[in-house]
Amino acid sequence: MTTAVHLDGITKRFPGVVANDDVDLPVERGTVHALLGENGAGKTTLMNVLYGLYSADEGRVIVDDVERHFDTPRDAIDAGIGMIHQHFMLVDPMTVAENVTLGSEPRKWGGLAVDRDAATRSVEDLCDRYGFDVPPEARIEDVSVGVQQRVEILKALYRGADTLILDEPTAVLTPQEVEDLFEVFDELTDQGKTIIFITHKLGEAMHAADEITVLRDGQNVGTVPADETTREQLAELMVGREVLLEVEKTPADPGDEVFAADGVTVRDERGIEVVSDVSLSVREGEVLGIAGVDGNGQSELVEALTGLRDPTSGRLSLAGDDVSEHSRRRRIEAGMAYIPEDRHEQGLVMDFDLVENGLLGSQHSPPYARRGRLSWNDARRHAEAIIDEYDVRPPNADARAGSLSGGNQQKFIVGREFARDPRFVVAMHPTRGVDIGSTEFIHEQLLGLRDRGAGVLLVSSQLDEVRGLSDRLAVMHDGEFMAVVDPAEVTEEEIGLLMAGERPGGVDEDAEPEPSTAQADGGER
Amino acid sequence: MSEATADAGSDDSWLSMDNSRVLVVGSVAVALVVLFLAGTLFPDSTAGALVDILLLPSTWSSTLTLAVPIALAAVGGIFAEKSGVINIGLEGLLIISAFAAIFAADTTGSLWLGFGAGILASVLLAAVFAVVCIEFRANQIIAGLAIWLIALGFAPFAARIVYGGPNTASLSNSVPTVRNAGIPVVSPVFDSLAETSILGPFQALFRASPTVYLMFAVAILGWYVLNRTKFGMWVRASGENPKALDTSGVNVHRVRYAAVLLSGVFAGMGGAALSYNVGQFTGSGQTMVNGKGFIAIVAYLFGNYNPIGALLSTFLFTMLEAIQTPLQYAGIGVPRTLVQTLPYVGVIVVLALVGRTRIPAAAGDHYETGEDR
Repeated sequence: MTTAVHLDGITKRFPGVVANDDVDLPVERGTVHALLGENGAGKTTLMNVLYGLYSADEGRVIVDDVERHFDTPRDAIDAGIGMIHQHFMLVDPMTVAENVTLGSEPRKWGGLAVDRDAATRSVEDLCDRYGFDVPPEARIEDVSVGVQQRVEILKALYRGADTLILDEPTAVLTPQEVEDLFEVFDELTDQGKTIIFITHKLGEAMHAADEITVLRDGQNVGTVPADETTREQLAELMVGREVLLEVEKTPADPGDEVFAADGVTVRDERGIEVVSDVSLSVREGEVLGIAGVDGNGQSELVEALTGLRDPTSGRLSLAGDDVSEHSRRRRIEAGMAYIPEDRHEQGLVMDFDLVENGLLGSQHSPPYARRGRLSWNDARRHAEAIIDEYDVRPPNADARAGSLSGGNQQKFIVGREFARDPRFVVAMHPTRGVDIGSTEFIHEQLLGLRDRGAGVLLVSSQLDEVRGLSDRLAVMHDGEFMAVVDPAEVTEEEIGLLMAGERPGGVDEDAEPEPSTAQADGGER
Repeated sequence: MSEATADAGSDDSWLSMDNSRVLVVGSVAVALVVLFLAGTLFPDSTAGALVDILLLPSTWSSTLTLAVPIALAAVGGIFAEKSGVINIGLEGLLIISAFAAIFAADTTGSLWLGFGAGILASVLLAAVFAVVCIEFRANQIIAGLAIWLIALGFAPFAARIVYGGPNTASLSNSVPTVRNAGIPVVSPVFDSLAETSILGPFQALFRASPTVYLMFAVAILGWYVLNRTKFGMWVRASGENPKALDTSGVNVHRVRYAAVLLSGVFAGMGGAALSYNVGQFTGSGQTMVNGKGFIAIVAYLFGNYNPIGALLSTFLFTMLEAIQTPLQYAGIGVPRTLVQTLPYVGVIVVLALVGRTRIPAAAGDHYETGEDR
């Protein structure tokens, strides 16, 4: 075994932060190496140093036993390093072949034209060699996310990459696509390529990697062989303390129906039906989970329920009252709380301090507003109460929301919404981009609210999360509920198939007899 | 939804059109067919007069001549905007080059030098725009308006200093057409074709100024460069996802500079051709350019960023203008100002009804290596 890439004592500082602190990372050729850590642990920074996007303040980058200095990605590419970013670097209206060859186009007629046939052939050859199924003439905007990711990999291979860096490659994939990706890893390493992938998911690191390096606060806190470690050990390395991985949940004690949606259909801005006749019911003291790959209508459904978007048709009732026509404000006043999927866009005003942010949604109601005037003293007490109760750090009500970490922003939102003592909570991706510690806390809060008798609708693309928290679990695909299942009995594979739009026999019939929730449709596909 | 499907309507077919354009072009075609039928059946009716006018070689000649500055500026605008820099200053580039061409031709006595000076002036002004937008991150719309206003003020001012009024002197020697340029073989062939009456309105093609052929050449070349060459690929990537281009090892700033300067070259050709055609630069009011740079923007939006499409939509607009005067002679008076709004009405219909003009995703956005957008 030889070392393909060796990062030796890398230190990278940004104003006020040490993103990487003397990190050592040797990677063997022909292996899969996972770089595990929480958000902000410095994983991406480290890989950007290797890819020439950042230059390290200290330390050496050694590729194939030769010390290198990369000023630009071009230098890294020339040294055989390829990087697939979390957000794909693809040009949507161009074809696969055009994207793969961009910047290194084969030419003909003395450079007067791009040799498009040669570009197509190169893509086909690469596909044959590594067993990809990617149509070279298809346009990027017409292919699935999984295929787009293959195109990114092809791009790196076309440029002669021996070492591939993938930043959070599974974030946008269905469980099946993730499996396919890991098979691609095997194929690539069999042919001598080296893979480094960044992840914050323990299970993936253990499943796909040969070796795992854990970063915490910019430091390498341990490199372990994947088959000699446990999830608990990795979690402890990541967080620095013992973590409860499984949510401890008491059985639900559901009461009366608190929220019901009947036949909700939503069209998006382009007039395309993105939610098709979805019905659901949430009872007091239970969590209804909605699982699904992002972009299958969950956002639009949630916006329709919370009053941010007008559905084409459908009735909504909250605690027995018809709220279909209610404005956002009236829904809030009727006891509906909302933890939005994007805290930057919808949850907080980043340039406001926490006092002002704590007021959002309550700006009309006493004691904060009296005869059109705001009481800043009450608002401040309110914000400080949230900060105290929900452990928001730093505990400073005058801090700008944008200066907080993602986890603390999210805890503040949860606190603000729960402080209204809601009957019904819609929580969408409540722990996306949130560190493990805060995730644990937010999960406890959601279950606590359930146990106090509120209904919770939880939407998440993270299977562990929806399975762990939900009492009933609906799986959404292409705007419809594929099935409503019992999360305790269903397997991950079964959910994965449902998420991909396949309906395996038997799952939806025997698992959950609850009426009025599952859409009885069989005509899909 | 998740299946990989190759789209039939690829940008590569040079007349790819979506529904809204098919609708507009289709209804124009239907109207024309109806008009021609009515005109042939009832030669003495209004329709008959209209058909006569539409088939006049002189109508076609002015359609072509009027199109030159607009189409050239439009192709330039396509390059700039495809690369991610919206060049709303095309109007200014036309003004400055229209003046500079006459001034230089008048001073040096050489039409060639004058034409070159027009291009140079436009490129210099485009370079100012490029530096301000690309290097100093100015808002492209505001910078583009500034370019227009600078030219709108400067050209008549310079004319006043040199010639004592808003208008320049007239060119002493006008631009020869190919048919009377005295080129062996070519000129006699053009001359005889220009007089061959069976060609009907196509005679206009052989009576035209050389700038008309330049316009055709630039539109075709523009399409080729944009869709078939490496540079064109980079321009398109730069306007859609500059980061993708950057991570592929191509300098986005350089591509954008090249594209904006190219828009200066083409608009400069257009401005010089405009004033050469008239024989002088007139600088009162909105100057002789009088909104042609903005019509150019409309034309390339209407043509969906396709140089050939932009050329054809330019013809649509300029033909409307070309039939103005003969219509008034024929007693069918439609107010000129009303007809001049038609291109804008057309583009609003296309943009609003279906809105399928595909603006480059990163158009108007500044790009800097290493910054997250």
